[in-house]
Amino acid sequence: MTLVGKEIAVELKNDVVLTGTLHSVDQYLNIKLTTVQVVNQERYPQLTVLKNCFIRGSVVRYVQINPGDVNTELLQDATRKENSPAVGGTVSEAKK
Amino acid sequence: MASTLSEWKSKPVTVLTCDGRLISGHLRGYDQLQNLVLQKSYETVYSVDAPPERIDLGLFVVRGDNVAVIADGEIGRAGGGGGEESDDDGVRAEPIKEIAGNR
Repeated sequence: MTLVGKEIAVELKNDVVLTGTLHSVDQYLNIKLTTVQVVNQERYPQLTVLKNCFIRGSVVRYVQINPGDVNTELLQDATRKENSPAVGGTVSEAKK
Repeated sequence: MASTLSEWKSKPVTVLTCDGRLISGHLRGYDQLQNLVLQKSYETVYSVDAPPERIDLGLFVVRGDNVAVIADGEIGRAGGGGGEESDDDGVRAEPIKEIAGNR
């Protein structure tokens, strides 16, 4: 979510690597990219015309993210919140 | 946030299938499994020793399992609405590999 608008590289299971700006992701890891460029254009000249694309989550092998784009503090805070008993789902359920 | 295809409904799209084919056409319908209905569709076959060959397919339904990438724009026409150079008569390319482990 926090990576939307960032530049990422997506490697597909057929070895094609697409780079582009992350537009959206959903629960299946379907990915939408804008300003797409194919890595290794000499090998895949037919894919250089792509501009915006939707990548089916099931065909993704890797998503490469620039380490600088990852907000680790936010992720750590989120995990802490999820595991803290005060706001944990089980406790609030018990109160009811 | 949701990665839907709504913005491409009834627009020209190009689909890369899991067996490495490129099928273009007008997106007439879709669902959450990426089953697609393509109107006036055609496959563009690239080879290393001949210009790209266009094979007309008509109305096509692609099952979602076989879809790898959906891109806006048609091959051989203005791609991605960018209206830039789209004459790919000289493009020579080896076929794209099929998606590993899809069977």
